[in-house]
Amino acid sequence: MSRRFWETDWFGPLMVVVVAVAVVSILNPSFLSPFNIQVLLLAIAVNAMIAFSQMIIIAIGQMNLSVGAIGGLSAIAFAGMLEVWGIPWPIAAILALALGVLAGVANGVLVALTGISAFVITLASLSVYKGVNLGITEAQPFYKIPDVVKGLGNDTFLHPLPWLIIPCVLAALLLWYLLNRLPLGRSILAVGGNEHAAELSGISVRRVVIVAHAISGLLAASAGIMLVGRLQLGQPTIGDDWLILSFAAPVIGGAILSGGHVSVAGTLLGVAIVAIFTQVLVLFNIDPFLVQVVLGVLILWAVGVNRFREVRALKHSAQVAS
Amino acid sequence: MSIQNAPSETSVFVAEGMTKTFPGVTALEDVRLSLSKGSIHALLGENGAGKSTLIKAITGVHRLDSGRMMLNGQLFEPTDTRDAISRGIGVVHQERNLIPRFSIGENIFLESLNAHPLRRIDYNKLFRDARVWLEMLGVDADPAMPVHRLSVAKTQLVEIAKALSLNSRILLLDEPTAALTPHETDTLFKILRQLRDDGVSLMFVSHKLEEVQEICDRVTVLRDGKNACESQPLEGLDRQAIVRLMIGRNEQIPDWSARDRSTGKTVLQLKNVSTSLGHKEIDLSVHKGEIVGLYGLVGAGRSELAKSILGKFQVTGGEVLVNGNRAQIHSVADAVRKYRIGYVSEDRKSEGLVLMHSVLENVGMPIWRRLAGLAHFLTNGKIRKHTEPYIRKLEVRTPSLDQHVGNLSGGNQQKVSVAKWLAAEVEILIIDEPSVGIDIKTKAYLHELIRELSDNGTALLLITSDMPEMITLADHIVVMNDYRIMGEIDNTRDYDTMSERIMTLIQGEELVAAE
Repeated sequence: MSRRFWETDWFGPLMVVVVAVAVVSILNPSFLSPFNIQVLLLAIAVNAMIAFSQMIIIAIGQMNLSVGAIGGLSAIAFAGMLEVWGIPWPIAAILALALGVLAGVANGVLVALTGISAFVITLASLSVYKGVNLGITEAQPFYKIPDVVKGLGNDTFLHPLPWLIIPCVLAALLLWYLLNRLPLGRSILAVGGNEHAAELSGISVRRVVIVAHAISGLLAASAGIMLVGRLQLGQPTIGDDWLILSFAAPVIGGAILSGGHVSVAGTLLGVAIVAIFTQVLVLFNIDPFLVQVVLGVLILWAVGVNRFREVRALKHSAQVAS
Repeated sequence: MSIQNAPSETSVFVAEGMTKTFPGVTALEDVRLSLSKGSIHALLGENGAGKSTLIKAITGVHRLDSGRMMLNGQLFEPTDTRDAISRGIGVVHQERNLIPRFSIGENIFLESLNAHPLRRIDYNKLFRDARVWLEMLGVDADPAMPVHRLSVAKTQLVEIAKALSLNSRILLLDEPTAALTPHETDTLFKILRQLRDDGVSLMFVSHKLEEVQEICDRVTVLRDGKNACESQPLEGLDRQAIVRLMIGRNEQIPDWSARDRSTGKTVLQLKNVSTSLGHKEIDLSVHKGEIVGLYGLVGAGRSELAKSILGKFQVTGGEVLVNGNRAQIHSVADAVRKYRIGYVSEDRKSEGLVLMHSVLENVGMPIWRRLAGLAHFLTNGKIRKHTEPYIRKLEVRTPSLDQHVGNLSGGNQQKVSVAKWLAAEVEILIIDEPSVGIDIKTKAYLHELIRELSDNGTALLLITSDMPEMITLADHIVVMNDYRIMGEIDNTRDYDTMSERIMTLIQGEELVAAE
């Protein structure tokens, strides 16, 4: 805990963000224009929720392939309730969030009770949730979104800070508090760090797994709802392209895929890095398909850095032990 | 054998008729046990005798098929580990059970934290409280330090602190001293005696009979899942009597004379070797048919040296010679294939074996390539022919060679990991802690085998922290401390003088360091 700041998970990504912002704003001053910052923050706000929904599952040493499907299902449920039933938007949002939690709990219960790997369970539920989505929408978007929701999804409350940044900051703070200060969050990390030991310490592994999946579902649903506001329509394809990003950002932020260690700040910076690189490619008119390539390189870079630190720590501890 | 059964009013915990079967195995059969207040009770038995199952039944990991347990006169049927902890049962498990990236303090108090999942953790208080336990156990470490940075011995002490912090009235200790130095063991025993005097009932599992005789007052011995004796006073039982209870016959101590094998061809030689892990000026040679013992405390850098020889870690300076020629070992595959060096890992579960594969697959692994030959055709029959004699020789207790290794008991797993290298017929074999978690009978077989291997010309490097084992087996003993070689002695096989000389070599360094 008393680690020097340059040894923390967020220091490397932070340097990348700082350097990237500096370099890009010199090459193209319009990068720091209020409008551009607003666009950047909008992207970060939604993507951070997506990344967090995967991060909490990485923390318990599992994977959730269905984050996109849960997000998409919640999004079209939200938009559908607004259009078809005409429910007030806050109630529709709460119901859609509840649906996300339910989908997450279903994942968690299946993983906890059957002992089948989360990879397989969520691969299956991905298909189920996506199928329900397409069944409801018949692959057609819901268009009738109230103006308030459209506004919240795009406007700023304090120039250039968009409304969407509020749930994102709130989620980040709550997650940090959960994972660092609350026994429940520590249990989540303990299960990821050494499931056997956690169990023998009286932690209910099943309960922790279910809770983590519920949180994941909640966060994925939030991202879906936020995207409905941002896109101003309930697209059935929401969530289809979340998977790579959802793993990339936590990993760039220092998360260990085998579990037990994630960083909220690091993940947030990971999201920022991806958003900045994407923006840069747009600003300089570079082929947007390169985004995928850049994302892949970023993941490899991040994993490489983590690995290097692990090896160094191992040598260090070998010497300390002597 | 007189079986004494006297649950008096001081009996805190009484178990009767404990029976537990797993598919194909009866782990416990009608086992009885009673723990009295303020006593230290030894639970002994060979591997697979049912000790771990017994502990897991008491701590709520396993449910009994039949039989009953009484705690303070009330029926005790723990539903899970949490339930057992809340009823005052603390345990130090044999396996490492800490969360690697969590701080020492948090690991110690993990159980109690979990009681209020949504209450804020006060880290300052947590670390303050943890410091009290660390000081009591004589551990000099910052409670905020993550446990994965600690040495094995300190991790073990943290586990003990964790169990003590629950203020349990019944404390089960499954091989708590396995990784401790004699000094640390003394400190631990002092605390255990203090707990006993405070009225705590302790149950102590150990393979080190000297320790049992030193600290315990009663003993229960299990053999093949049944009571060989039950809660009998330890007074009047000598070592031979205990061993007889455990294995059903007398212990056979091999009467091997000292021998000098240093005149043979030098098979493995290290010249002024240093490694990326911090070894310095390592000089070592092993001759044909010789057993060279590498003695040192846990953390002296012995296993790390072995792994460096194998090419797992980098040799940064000096020379490694095999049969007089400079060896280029870049990977473990090089070591095994080009130079025929084998390594029996001390950590069979994570390094020695593929637990989810069968016995046959595990034992055959190093020789697949060789058996396959040019035709690249490998049959199970072929592997069986080459490996079965060794599996038989070690008396691996398995229903069949197709059984998953993970389903075998610890001792049998160790036999498989040794059999694997015996079958590989290597020229140089490094054996790391061969008898960790191994019972007396298996240990004796293993010793005979190791001796036989050396008679057949294999050069052996033996790493062990078990002094009697070292003195029984080694021809020549090299003492290591702090990643350096402290000195070498020819083994006279006279236990008292040898152990004294070895400890002097290690402590010489400690005294220098203390100044």
